[in-house]
Amino acid sequence: MGSILNPLYYAVSWVIVTFHSAFGLIFGKDSHESIKWSLSIIGLVIVIRIILIPLFVKQIKSQRALTALQPHMKEIQKKHKDDRQKQSEEMMKLYKEHKTNPLASCFPILAQAPIFFALFTVLNGIARDTSHGFLRGDLLKSAQEAKFFGANLSSTFLSSDTNSQTKLVTVALIVFMSATTFTTQRQLMVKGMPKMDSSNNMMLQQQKIMLYVFPVIFAVSGVNFPVGVLLYWSTTNLWTFGQQYYVIKRNPTPGSPAYDELMKKRAAKNKESGINPTGEESGTTQTDPNNLGQKQQRQQPSKKKKKKK
Amino acid sequence: MRKIFAAAIKIYQKWISPLFGPRCKYYPSCSTYAADAVSEYGAKGIAMAAWRLVRCNPWSHGGVDYVLSKSSKQPIKTGAN
Repeated sequence: MGSILNPLYYAVSWVIVTFHSAFGLIFGKDSHESIKWSLSIIGLVIVIRIILIPLFVKQIKSQRALTALQPHMKEIQKKHKDDRQKQSEEMMKLYKEHKTNPLASCFPILAQAPIFFALFTVLNGIARDTSHGFLRGDLLKSAQEAKFFGANLSSTFLSSDTNSQTKLVTVALIVFMSATTFTTQRQLMVKGMPKMDSSNNMMLQQQKIMLYVFPVIFAVSGVNFPVGVLLYWSTTNLWTFGQQYYVIKRNPTPGSPAYDELMKKRAAKNKESGINPTGEESGTTQTDPNNLGQKQQRQQPSKKKKKKK
Repeated sequence: MRKIFAAAIKIYQKWISPLFGPRCKYYPSCSTYAADAVSEYGAKGIAMAAWRLVRCNPWSHGGVDYVLSKSSKQPIKTGAN
């Protein structure tokens, strides 16, 4: 196992060490080691997430392509109302036919797993005084001293030499991880998903399960992870949340509550600046408040209608 | 061996998969496919499941893909959703 992952140890440690020396230019070469090492781990997250952005963009594109498929999807849902299996089958067929698929596949998660594991090993190596990849010699010594809010980056909640400060930081990070994961999922379910009658119930149920399962899973695994890994995990969670927030605000899935909100906002903005997207009836709409109200209502559901007019 | 595998998939489906939300590009999902493949084909099923997981990537279009029964070559449709 170790030899297979060896290149990854080099890659992970190279990114961290490079960030560390880059931050040396800002914070001074031999001072502020704790901040430099902590920021290096955050830098690793940012590098990995930036690499994964193209996948994410692809995902959004295929999600937006669904607009065209909406009538088909409604038809399928109606036709196989009582047969979930048939319904899912037909949906997948539809996606394949149109060469678009809104689902992300496990790849983004699976791709991150080995990196996560490599980071785990590299940080554990710091605690055990074993070098991995480029993290050796003086760098290893310096990393051993590095702290995140007073907690050693390489120590875990359960390790014997752990002080109460480390325990406190570990618990805080675990709580933070649970909270970000939960709010991310919740935001997606409440605002980001198109309303679907049949699957809504199941999603609500899953959400309820998660509410209780997250903290347990994170607590059980988190106490075995070095603070540095928890820092990585927390940062990547925060990134996911921000990414999703951006998409839901700026690029919402058609049919979702967030989409309706955006349409309303655009309508209000157009009204405010006096721009009429159709270029028609601009004189009357601005002077007649009743007409304005009507217009706003009409604008929300359909752009197409207006064009036809 | 098959039982352990089936139990592991059940645990994954119940406790871990909800963390990620629905994300499989295929129907049935990779985990259901794996359970069906192993119960029908044993060790060869593990390889089939692994291949399915590889096929389910950002560049694939997914689709409907059942495990075929050994004897009748008909798709195995377990009650999973």
